[in-house]
Amino acid sequence: MTFLQLDNIKKTFGELSVIKGVNISASKGEFVVFVGPSGCGKSTLLRMIAGLEDVTSGTLSIDGKDVTYEEPAKREVSMVFQSYALYPHMSVFENMAFGLRMAKLSEDEIKRRVAEAARILQIEPLLERKPRALSGGQRQRVAIGRSIVRNPKIFLFDEPLSNLDAELRSQMRVEIAKLHRNLGATMVYVTHDQVEAMTLADRIVVLRAGLVEQIGSPTELYDRPANTFVAGFIGSPKMNFLTAKVTGADASSLQLSHPAFAGESLSLAHGSASKAKVGDKLLVGLRPEHLDVAAPAPLLRLTVDFAENLGGSTQIYARTGEEAVTILTNGRPDLTPGDQMAAGIDPRHIYLFTPDGLAL
Amino acid sequence: MRLSSGNILHALGLTAVILFTLFPFYWMVSASFKTQADILASPPVWLFTPTLDHYREIFADSKVIGAVGNSLIIATATTALAVLLGAPAAFALARYDFRGKSDLWFWFISNRMTSPIVLALPVYILALQLKMLDTHLVLILIYLTFNLPIVVWICTDQFKSIPPDLEQAARLDGADQFTIFRKIYLPLGAPGIAVSAIFSFIFSWNELLYALVLTRRDVQTAPVVATSFMSGYELPWGKIMATGTVIVLPVTIFALIVSRHMVRGLTMGATK
Repeated sequence: MTFLQLDNIKKTFGELSVIKGVNISASKGEFVVFVGPSGCGKSTLLRMIAGLEDVTSGTLSIDGKDVTYEEPAKREVSMVFQSYALYPHMSVFENMAFGLRMAKLSEDEIKRRVAEAARILQIEPLLERKPRALSGGQRQRVAIGRSIVRNPKIFLFDEPLSNLDAELRSQMRVEIAKLHRNLGATMVYVTHDQVEAMTLADRIVVLRAGLVEQIGSPTELYDRPANTFVAGFIGSPKMNFLTAKVTGADASSLQLSHPAFAGESLSLAHGSASKAKVGDKLLVGLRPEHLDVAAPAPLLRLTVDFAENLGGSTQIYARTGEEAVTILTNGRPDLTPGDQMAAGIDPRHIYLFTPDGLAL
Repeated sequence: MRLSSGNILHALGLTAVILFTLFPFYWMVSASFKTQADILASPPVWLFTPTLDHYREIFADSKVIGAVGNSLIIATATTALAVLLGAPAAFALARYDFRGKSDLWFWFISNRMTSPIVLALPVYILALQLKMLDTHLVLILIYLTFNLPIVVWICTDQFKSIPPDLEQAARLDGADQFTIFRKIYLPLGAPGIAVSAIFSFIFSWNELLYALVLTRRDVQTAPVVATSFMSGYELPWGKIMATGTVIVLPVTIFALIVSRHMVRGLTMGATK
């Protein structure tokens, strides 16, 4: 059942259109992640769900109730801010109790709820401290605690981990995932970090310039990106794209040619092969982690530009003509710039896109 | 700390500034304990037998006591009203968008651009017509028009420095506008409010021109009484200096009480 529904939501600031008609629905208990480059409107969208930004047009409903023009407090959502937004003059306890006091709960109930949240987040020893006496990770926990105590219908997270160092970030990422599992709550999470999106989400919404590019599970987005933007955004390092020419097409297979291909041609079985015509150009998408430098029958002939030793793996920057190809491989192949190298790929891992970027 | 030539220069400079600032105070306070002959002695007498005669004289004079009382009433009332009216106005200016906001903002400060003496006569006539001459209220109202813009300006600046995220978090927590103002902006804006309060208090306490023009007998303030001694053939310096010392005392105490906030307020934004 749909728990959160965004229906043709638009937002303009004066002349500037920031959200250009977005439809998203989430069911109860789902973890939805909005991901996209900066300026794509993901934070604005989150703030519209919270009620901190007015909706220019469209409808927004939570738990079957139209809340498009509802006051933030009455939407029963809570939000964890990027800056944490802890009240600096109040103790951790008072920070967490603030919303409960506003709701005029009894003092016993407030104490019980704060204690419960503090226990879940392991911040019990910090309750008397002021925010300035806390580390970044502790502040983060308090901010999450403040949103837990109110028992909201939806938790909103606005890039909550971006102020933490790498180690703490992955630690908190795991904790948020655990929290979601234990509370079974509906969560909407904004990030520009595709690793956070991939690891946390039940469903990812990829946004660009105020429009939804694709919605799907992390696996769907990785395996079947709708377009080159999603393909490039999900997965790290980025997918490689080579522009190839169609030299033959029938109902179930394609022949493509590119100077880098072994024998300058590639024969590929593809379900939508009939959509392409001989002479068309197609973008061939190859993920760096799928390219195999030790393949027995290599597909690509490349020139090495540079190799980065990452310890357990190596990232190779190679080139064919003007086009760059990145390869992520295990081990430490012995390569020097200017070397010729070959790389193969399982044909099932080859993605095809039309020249305007849509998946074939 | 190492004793470098830069440090020595720095120390000398500071000493000069301190001497320059504090010497008049020293002169005033010491003169209030000297006899008239010692005060007028040239070269000045540095060692003297202190006398409390001037203090006995002014405290025996009900005029001085009454004037200090009037000044306290007027300065306290003005400050309280200025903060009470100015802080919410500053909150609105800092956080809300409304038509004419920038004009209003400028209008507040433009109130301070007129030289007070220009308005002295019109205000006098106004007060005369309204039968408000020689009342506490007329001075409180006049001082309010001078102090309110300062309070609004300082507090607006202070409130703007409070991250908007806090207000939004509070909104999500269910706080209404008044609660946000009271529970978030007032405590976090305390340094700015303290600074504006002390400015307001000092201004009202020291103001002479309007106090002279608008009061007669009942509501004379301390500066007016102090200057009223300057008549006749002989200037009673000891009495004037003793009155001056008594006038300075409450402001000093008030400043010491809020100085912790004040320093925080004045340096606010400098390190951000």
